[in-house]
Amino acid sequence: MINVLAHTRLSVRRLFAPLLFVSLFLVSTVSQASSYTLYIKAGTHTVNGAGGTTIKVWGYTDNSAAAPMVPGPVIESHEGETVSVYVYNQDSRPHNFVVAGLTTDTIAIPANSNKTYTFTTPNAGVYLYSDTLNSNVNREMGLYGAVVVRAAGGANVTWTGGPSFNYERLWVVSDMDKPRWNDIASTGGTVNTSVYKPNYFMMNGLGGFDAMRDPATQITGTVGQVTLVRIVNAGQFDQSLHFHSNHMKAIVVDSARVTPFGDDTINIKAGKTAMVLFPIKYAKQTFPVHVHTAQMETANGVYLNGAATLIVGK
Amino acid sequence: MKISIHTLFLRIRGILQAIATLLTSAGLASAAMMGGGGAVATAANPTSGIPVVNATSVTLVVQTVNKVMHDGVNVPFWVYCQNGGGMGGGGGCPVAGPTLQLGVGQTANIVLNMMMAPQEAAPYQGHTIHPHGLDVAQSEDGVPETGAPVLGDTYTFAVDAQHVGSHMYHCHVHTVKHLEMGLYGGFVVKDTNSAGTLLNTINHGGPTYDYEWNMVLSTVDPAYHNNNAVGDSTVFADYNPKYFLINGLEGISSTAPADTLTAATGKKVAFRLIGLQSVNAIFQIKNASGAAQSFTIYNDDGYALPSPITTTSIEVTPGSTTDIMVTLPTTSGTWYPQISYKNLRNGGGYTNGTVYNKLVF
Repeated sequence: MINVLAHTRLSVRRLFAPLLFVSLFLVSTVSQASSYTLYIKAGTHTVNGAGGTTIKVWGYTDNSAAAPMVPGPVIESHEGETVSVYVYNQDSRPHNFVVAGLTTDTIAIPANSNKTYTFTTPNAGVYLYSDTLNSNVNREMGLYGAVVVRAAGGANVTWTGGPSFNYERLWVVSDMDKPRWNDIASTGGTVNTSVYKPNYFMMNGLGGFDAMRDPATQITGTVGQVTLVRIVNAGQFDQSLHFHSNHMKAIVVDSARVTPFGDDTINIKAGKTAMVLFPIKYAKQTFPVHVHTAQMETANGVYLNGAATLIVGK
Repeated sequence: MKISIHTLFLRIRGILQAIATLLTSAGLASAAMMGGGGAVATAANPTSGIPVVNATSVTLVVQTVNKVMHDGVNVPFWVYCQNGGGMGGGGGCPVAGPTLQLGVGQTANIVLNMMMAPQEAAPYQGHTIHPHGLDVAQSEDGVPETGAPVLGDTYTFAVDAQHVGSHMYHCHVHTVKHLEMGLYGGFVVKDTNSAGTLLNTINHGGPTYDYEWNMVLSTVDPAYHNNNAVGDSTVFADYNPKYFLINGLEGISSTAPADTLTAATGKKVAFRLIGLQSVNAIFQIKNASGAAQSFTIYNDDGYALPSPITTTSIEVTPGSTTDIMVTLPTTSGTWYPQISYKNLRNGGGYTNGTVYNKLVF
């Protein structure tokens, strides 16, 4: 369907003119380099708990002998560094590796072949990497992950000169349509991409029952402490994540820095990223963070096993 | 909180309050009048009949309301209803609960009375009120999974001036079902002066308006409303909205608008867009020939923006609110404030997915 309003689809978040990304290619900066190796594999991924199931997936992993990871391994860097990623396609189908906003090579890596991608990370933030081939099928099957770029020097600031934080979290949110996409694509069938009715919604690959208990996903801290949450929407549905107990400050929306503004629900468009600063308001109290749209709160209809986690005040 | 003597007390008190309500017919009428206050502008909900009620002292019950949609299909809703208003005649309360209103410096005291409330079986029995965006403590947050009582409760909290603007409230029991069923409403925080009078400023210390128009956005997948669609069900694994509402009304054409406001020329109108729908939504104001009019956005999620933004189109995403203002022309005319609902995947539209309001000046 053609969205005639596409060019004017604006939310408050998007109306802030994105701040110009000032290139941080500072000549005087000594660039660090890091390298990663990713393997592309077919396998399975399990959403635990009621409503959960084992889903056939394709994913990136950092261990050629292990199952694919959903999401894939986190690639970490700092402002101004160079990253090399060696991607080995161990799957029988062609795949690629594209970091939105950082790389442009979309050419397929044939089955049982490999390719090296080298890119710089001038701006701190969070980026989606994924397989962009096959009309979103490859990404939907689990081929996605995040690149986290921190401020140079290792300080707990969002970027050089940016606001500070006490803790950081990464949330890769995603969705899968098991019966119509994963079950079909994994057995060599052709997915009807015009129909997408995802029935699994995950945060860091976890259903809500797990994500609410996962210390690496939960937000925590004492009163006044601030968590920087980097959010990547690797799915195909836009996500509106509502934070109970306090407003946050949105600092990145639609993958672009914005003038910070108060927010209790952050909308992350499919394929885009966001960053928020969330301060703890209440000591020794617990609150949910959850998506605010019907079926996305569930795992195949089982409530709260969808996209959700907790805020735990110390 | 566990079921306790406190809860038992609340239940008994709730029953007594319900009985008291049944013995008086004053509830709804007094609520509608309470929306005023000396400095507050007129016409909070022009024609949709949703009352504006002070949150400092209000009792809500939950009722079943059956609505016949434009295609003749009957859809059951659950709605919050003030003091049982609408019971026993008149077809019940409207879809979208009363707009709750609270001044800075005031304390909300909202009683949820479960007397005769329709509900699901365990583990999703009962109802709560989640004051969404009010940033309340866990004990007032209305989330059963973190201990909120589901068989009646009193919600007490205050807000600071940062919150002057629009928020919302909704049931947080089995939200995938209960929000869809209609258990929601707008929650508006207002500035106050030194005498405690509510002011018609768009945000703390912000510009004033002459009229305010609350618009609660929601969508309806009738499959979710089916009496058999309860508990953990694969019905809730998919969402296919068929009906699209503003203030509980369809308004599928400009000649059959959901809500109509008549205002004086040259005056300022505040629109409070309250996103309780489960899909994306675009708000625009168009004139009789379809040209989009400019308006200015002041608040996002009830917090003042760093600086106002003037535009002709704004997306209201699920769970968010937006407060905007527009100055009417000095010559008379008609505008059509409207919401176009869009799917979450690619922004595609829906059949009858645009809901029209009418603004006559």
